[in-house]
Amino acid sequence: MASSSYSNSPCAACKFLRRKCLPGCIFSPYFPPEEPQKFANVHKIFGASNVSKLLNEILPHQREDAVNSLAYEAEARLKDPVYGCVGAISVLQRQVIRLQKELDATNANLMRFTGNEVTSLPVFPGEGDIANPVYGRRMDHNYGFSLPYASPWNNNPSGDGPEEGGDGSM
Amino acid sequence: MTLKGGTSQACAACKYQRRKCKVECELKPFFPPDNPEMFRNAHKLFGVSNIRKLLREVDPAQWVDAMRSITCQADIRDKFPVHGCCGVINQLQLQLRLAEEELYAVLAQIAFFRQQSNQQNEIESVHDSASQLQALSLFHQEATPSQHQHQPPVNALPMASHQAYPNCNNVVAYNNSGYLDKDNVVNSFWVQNSYNGDNNNNNNQMAMQSVSSSHLNIQQEPAQEYDEMHPFFDTIDDRQSYIDSKDAYDSSSDSSLKDTTQSVDHIADNELKSAAASFSLTSVN
Repeated sequence: MASSSYSNSPCAACKFLRRKCLPGCIFSPYFPPEEPQKFANVHKIFGASNVSKLLNEILPHQREDAVNSLAYEAEARLKDPVYGCVGAISVLQRQVIRLQKELDATNANLMRFTGNEVTSLPVFPGEGDIANPVYGRRMDHNYGFSLPYASPWNNNPSGDGPEEGGDGSM
Repeated sequence: MTLKGGTSQACAACKYQRRKCKVECELKPFFPPDNPEMFRNAHKLFGVSNIRKLLREVDPAQWVDAMRSITCQADIRDKFPVHGCCGVINQLQLQLRLAEEELYAVLAQIAFFRQQSNQQNEIESVHDSASQLQALSLFHQEATPSQHQHQPPVNALPMASHQAYPNCNNVVAYNNSGYLDKDNVVNSFWVQNSYNGDNNNNNNQMAMQSVSSSHLNIQQEPAQEYDEMHPFFDTIDDRQSYIDSKDAYDSSSDSSLKDTTQSVDHIADNELKSAAASFSLTSVN
């Protein structure tokens, strides 16, 4: 309920929870009253108390990003209760692996030409010396992080427990 | 809570909540007691009650997949407290974009090399045909008219121009992966449609639309080369039928063709002159 002593209307969280929106409300900067659905989704999936604890554990300048990512994940989970946003990760990961294989095959094909060419060779901007074909930004399948589990959608049904690296699978 | 004298252990969820783990505990299969961290992360992000609610909304046959995605999402959030799964998705999209750019660059290089080698082959084949043409012309000067039925290997020349076309097919074959889209439409399409079941079909359709346009661009270059070479080949083909017809030869407007035949005539004239010289010398003696 909006207090008459405050000029600002209560945030979407306090409106949803039907409580007084205090000045130090942790939700108010990130859940404006114009976006009620945003908090409703987050609360339905994660719960207000969990979100509050999460926000308190991270730095203030990072909280907006955290809230937006939570809102995205909540919406994804509502649209797909089984896989949520993890389904998108799985799809993207498979695509990356396939594209990497295709890139490897194409580079191998290029090697056949560069192995025969000894005269002047084209120099493509940013590609460096053509004699050393650019395998370039060789993608590490870990992508800078380790996915904890093998993909639950591969043929391995016993993919529980944390595994090292996303080596082509989740 | 561990049962005294019993072999069954409480699941990690009931252990955390310090309550008796019943036989029908729905979380028991998914939170083994030897992995408390998994439950801790899931509980921190979702909470036990929310997890139970989610399972109730899902068909029991899909509980395994649902729980795996929940635990995976929770673990990712534990590793990346700020961005969570969104950070992973953004990173993967970036990787895809970089790989696509690299693939485009490599394919362009291959197309360039193929074009170079094809041009070289065409030049070599044209030289070969010109030398063969000279040899045939000399042969026809000495042979009887009935031997004119010989088929020159010039027919191979037009085929040389078609060697440019397989390049396009190979490029298209590489492009059929369904990834390449310079406008990154496919990337955004993946994320938008990640909740549908027909991701690959839509992606392939959109990718093929962009591929077909690039295919047309690539295909135009060999066609231009073919048009430039075609008149020359036509002239050579006509030349074969003109060997016995000086009138047809005179009407030809191709200067290079005239040069070729002029050189042939020059050789014939030299032979006549040498024959005449030998005759005159003979006559003096």
